[in-house]
Amino acid sequence: MLANYMPILVFIVIAGVIGAALIGGSLLVAHQKPYPEKLSAYECGFEPFDDARRRFDVRFYLVAILFIIFDLEVAFLFPWAVSLSRIGLFGFFSMLGFLGVLTVGFIYEWRKGALDWE
Amino acid sequence: MAVGLTHYLAVSAILLVLGVFGIFLNRKNVIIILMSVELILLAVNLNLVAFSASLGDLVGQVFALFVLTVAAAEAAIGLAIVVIYFRNRGSIQVEDVNLMKG
Amino acid sequence: MNWTLALPEITLSILAMAILLFGVLRRGESFSVCSMLTLGALLIGAVLVIGQARGFAFNGQYVVDPFAVFAKLLILAGAALALVSAQDYNREEGLARFEYPVLMLLAVVGMLAMVSANNFMSLYLALELQSLALYVLAAFARDELRSAEAGLKYFVLGALASGLLLYGISLVYGFSGTFDFAALAHLLSDPSHASAGLIVGMVFVIAGLAFKISAVPFHMWTPDVYEGAPTPVTAFLGTAPKVAAIVLLLRVMFVPFGHLTSQWTQIFEFVSIASMILGSLAAIGQTSIKRLMAYSSIGHMGYALIGLTVGTVDGLRGVLIYMVTYVFMSAGTFACLIAMRRRGRALEKISDLAGLARTDGGMALALAIFMFSMAGIPPLSGFFGKLYVFLAAVRAGYWTLAIIGVLTSVVGAYYYLRVIKVMYFDDPAPAFDRRPVGLSFVLGVGAVVTTFFFVFPAPIVGAAQAAAAALFG
Repeated sequence: MLANYMPILVFIVIAGVIGAALIGGSLLVAHQKPYPEKLSAYECGFEPFDDARRRFDVRFYLVAILFIIFDLEVAFLFPWAVSLSRIGLFGFFSMLGFLGVLTVGFIYEWRKGALDWE
Repeated sequence: MAVGLTHYLAVSAILLVLGVFGIFLNRKNVIIILMSVELILLAVNLNLVAFSASLGDLVGQVFALFVLTVAAAEAAIGLAIVVIYFRNRGSIQVEDVNLMKG
Repeated sequence: MNWTLALPEITLSILAMAILLFGVLRRGESFSVCSMLTLGALLIGAVLVIGQARGFAFNGQYVVDPFAVFAKLLILAGAALALVSAQDYNREEGLARFEYPVLMLLAVVGMLAMVSANNFMSLYLALELQSLALYVLAAFARDELRSAEAGLKYFVLGALASGLLLYGISLVYGFSGTFDFAALAHLLSDPSHASAGLIVGMVFVIAGLAFKISAVPFHMWTPDVYEGAPTPVTAFLGTAPKVAAIVLLLRVMFVPFGHLTSQWTQIFEFVSIASMILGSLAAIGQTSIKRLMAYSSIGHMGYALIGLTVGTVDGLRGVLIYMVTYVFMSAGTFACLIAMRRRGRALEKISDLAGLARTDGGMALALAIFMFSMAGIPPLSGFFGKLYVFLAAVRAGYWTLAIIGVLTSVVGAYYYLRVIKVMYFDDPAPAFDRRPVGLSFVLGVGAVVTTFFFVFPAPIVGAAQAAAAALFG
């Protein structure tokens, strides 16, 4: 039973090793020239250690909304890509049509200025 | 104990009930309502995938993919409406959504 | 793969995207141009729908039959009237953004796909396309709190209804193994397949769809959304989507669940009676005419559901005729409501109509016609709508439904006649602003159809008969 979870354990170990190697490597090899600007956390303009219940800038919501829409096209692209050899030209062009619709949406939001932060 | 279809259905039914109650009993924040709606759709997806697996029929999983995308579009529109509501009202407390009655 | 059957919907979607691009790439105000283009698109859609072949497409996901064609033409007509009446109002209220016609067009595409859906998957996607566009439209006046609140309420309850509908669909799928209407009908012709899980699923589906037609007990959103949404949006909400939803409901009840009549008749009998009673009683105390129209629409859905409950070809024909009369009465009434402006401000109290007969005789006459028709007074079209469903109910032996229907019509007549009394016998309030041409046009179309329906009912009744027979055949 537990043997089934062996791959996961291997994964965890490998992930830990890679992470440690990267951090350790940069500590050993890289030049360290800290100054305050560099040390301050960059978190979309937020203080990292602060009250978590403060209000977010409403513009983050807009970005999130736009992101969701374009993020989900992948849910259709993956099945399409793996079955491409079996769905023929009609299947191929159906997806192109879908991407075309997404492009129309993208042009719309671009021209509307939804992608500009200011 | 093997996990069978009934277990999935039970979990999904629980999620559905949680979602519905989250909408009706929630007196706090409209965002929680949006999350409850997502919970309902999640229950549906679980149902669809479980049925699809037990029936050996792929159509249910295809439908689940569609539900997933539509749910995202719905969440996007819901958030957008909540944002314009907040801009007008300055609050998204559920008890403040009471301009029209009767 | 007979995808040409979906040509009207495909064309309309492409046109919607083209108009969207045109509007966003063009400098300056493009509301009027885009509205004209959208009207043209609706016309093209109507031509394509009429010229369309009949049959199934997309592996049975999609069906074109006389029933769908009838509903599609009605939807296109309702949407066109709603778009025409929106023109001047939107310009005065600062809602003249080109997204408005585009969203309407997308909602129309969703509705057309709804009435052609022959599979729960296409049903759901079409329904969501329509609903998502309508949520945005309800909140279209984004700087006005009431509109935002209407959008929020509509969205939350609409999403809940979609969720219940989907849960029902998933149960139906799980206990039958298919989403396809024809396959379900075939499966359920053997009563032993009607398992409890499937029936529960069906009830969830009914609940979700009852919400969309705002039948009691799923009506709570209607008054608030009608009141809060900008009036042209209310005009749109009150016509085309109602047709699409009720036609969809008819197809779902009669095609996949056609063999389960004994299971759902009682549900609809209750829903119908409750809607008629609530629609007539709750409207009495209203002062806002938009809320009055909301309760009135709940009542009308109750009458239309009589035809569904009866479950015969006669009953279905009655529903379709009822929807035709309803669309034109509502479009006309809402045109009157949109025309209620004084010094550039929109009004919506019934008392604002006081003495309208003396300040604007034409509009008062038209509104009186619509109110008489909604009350079901002969020889106006509303009377015939009710007559056909009541007749079908009596013929099939549903006396309770017919009697309650007549009684609630009488109660309902009270509040319709009150509007007429205010217009004709109260002291005149100051006159309204000059009525734009577009509104007069919609008013005229509505009034003519409503008044002269009895002169030539044959084509519409014949078409409704053929459409209803197609659903059974």
